[in-house]
Amino acid sequence: MTTQLTPTPVASPLVSPKPGYLAAAGRWTGALAGAIAIFSVLLIAKGANPVTTLVDMVVSMTSGFSIEQIVMKAAPLVLAAMAVVLPARAGLANVGGEGQVIIGAVAGAGVGLVVSGPAALPLMLVAGALGGALWAGLAVMLRVTVGVNEAVTTLLLNYVALDVMLYLIYEPWKDAQGSGQPATPPLSIEQRLPLLSGTAVHAGIILALLAAVAVWFTLRHTAFGFRLAVTGGNPEAARRAGLRVGRLLLTAMLLGGALAGLAGVIHLAGVEFKLRPGLTTNIGYIAFLAAWLARHNPLPAVAAAFMLAAITVGGDSLQLDSGLPAATVNVLMALILLAVLGWTAKRSSS
Amino acid sequence: MSDLVVDVLTGAVRGGTAIMFAALGETLAERAGVVNLGTEGSMLVGALAGYAIAAETGSPWAGLAAGAVAGGLLALVHAVMVVWRRSDQFATGLTVMFLGLGLTSLFGAAYVGRAAPGFDPVAVPLLSDVPLLGEILFQHDPVTYLSFLAAPLLWWWLRSTRGGLLLRTAGERADVLHVHGYRPGLIRGAAVVAGGALAGIGGAQLATAYAHAWFEGMTAGRGFIAVSLVIFAAWRPLWVMAGSYLFGAALALAPALQARGISLNQFALDALPFLITLAILAILGRRTLRAAPEELRRVFT
Repeated sequence: MTTQLTPTPVASPLVSPKPGYLAAAGRWTGALAGAIAIFSVLLIAKGANPVTTLVDMVVSMTSGFSIEQIVMKAAPLVLAAMAVVLPARAGLANVGGEGQVIIGAVAGAGVGLVVSGPAALPLMLVAGALGGALWAGLAVMLRVTVGVNEAVTTLLLNYVALDVMLYLIYEPWKDAQGSGQPATPPLSIEQRLPLLSGTAVHAGIILALLAAVAVWFTLRHTAFGFRLAVTGGNPEAARRAGLRVGRLLLTAMLLGGALAGLAGVIHLAGVEFKLRPGLTTNIGYIAFLAAWLARHNPLPAVAAAFMLAAITVGGDSLQLDSGLPAATVNVLMALILLAVLGWTAKRSSS
Repeated sequence: MSDLVVDVLTGAVRGGTAIMFAALGETLAERAGVVNLGTEGSMLVGALAGYAIAAETGSPWAGLAAGAVAGGLLALVHAVMVVWRRSDQFATGLTVMFLGLGLTSLFGAAYVGRAAPGFDPVAVPLLSDVPLLGEILFQHDPVTYLSFLAAPLLWWWLRSTRGGLLLRTAGERADVLHVHGYRPGLIRGAAVVAGGALAGIGGAQLATAYAHAWFEGMTAGRGFIAVSLVIFAAWRPLWVMAGSYLFGAALALAPALQARGISLNQFALDALPFLITLAILAILGRRTLRAAPEELRRVFT
């Protein structure tokens, strides 16, 4: 954000040839190689053999079981990334995915406690989406009515959400028959998401991919998407052109929150089956980074979500094969993100 | 009743100190125009470095210094990325947080459950005998006494020194620095690194004086609390100090009540400081950002 006084040279298409895909690929390769090199140095410092560790990680990531794991990890990430992408188009920073995911899961679990039968699952999904939307709505209402920045409030609400969930599972919703660990009673079979035939993957991934396509279509091909982009580009101009900026911001954020809430509830009904501390494993934050890695474009964000899911699953193999803590993989993820973000992206002219 | 108040206030100082160091660090960075969500990561690496070096050398002071260095080094990553590579501040900060989380889990496993010498409470002669205040303020560990000085010192430094003026100018009107031949990027980078060092000290205090232990993710969101605290305090160091004790008091209230047989759900109380901050933001509304450094406001739009 340093201010530049020297005029930025304007790239003329006549003089400077368009940088080829080869150069871009080179930068990507260089960035990734740099990240892996630093990670290897750290592994050596820890006394682990980087070659076998990384090979083990890749091998285990491509086994059938791991691929199913990756898909299941990616499903909520894709939804939560869309929860960042959609508001970002209107210029809103939704750092509150984590809280919205938690509240989505809490709302789903709450419905699961009282409703049974075939209606339970659809109602849970709806409740999750509404819960997430409510949570995002709190932040965006403060923005639209009194002008408090949404990045700050969504971040704060993440912690409130976590406390809400912990409060519920330590007291009112605690499973009396459960083991010592505080958690809600597990969902019944009919409340869980069905599996895709012949796999261990739950149907949430279908929902996530459909949502991503819907977001892409909305942003790309609808008037609403265009209005969001205008608002995000220049809110003042949008206002003068007669757009109802407040309502647009509100809608974008509510939809985003609903997507994040849905992420929470499919994670609950597809993988976890009960609320417990540490339920979300940073889904909201990782999804924020996935969305950002993809420069807030919906379909690349899906790819980024899958990539980060793969890295996270690779972390579990680190623990099993090399005896390193699973959270070690956060180092690799962060290094790759830093490399990609700092050294491959087009420099913004701002 | 009065000893409940004393308990809670003493606990507020005890629990608020680590947050205060981190929030003062964040104040430095933000006054120079950079938001650093990586503060959480700086606290974590500071906590591990502080605890590990204290365990290896036997000196908690060496640990404290190591914590500052580690926190500063991690913040250097953020500084390089946002100042020189112009990457997005929120995303980079989160990435740096994950880097800190991963690094400490990689290198911290060996120190889980291991004993290390830490800071013990030292009663200040005379002052600790003052009724009420003595107990609340002057029976703490030495790092807490340092924190009493840190906030006023930072306030004075920002307000009355040449360095403080340069830092504030980098956050308000970087162009002016350019015109006068300074490099705003360098000043910002230095502010971010110094802020990370302060967060590292906060983390080291948490591990060696507050918890007397190291465990993975032990900062539990205190770095993020620090970031929101700075906004709550409208970027003023003395208000940061007050806000830290507010958070500390919320942490201390439930155990203090429980000790008196009143059972309260800890998590309802934990949410309280966040709700108070949200309420204050809602009441102040647009005025909160009006108090923000000019260059910072661009980050927030």
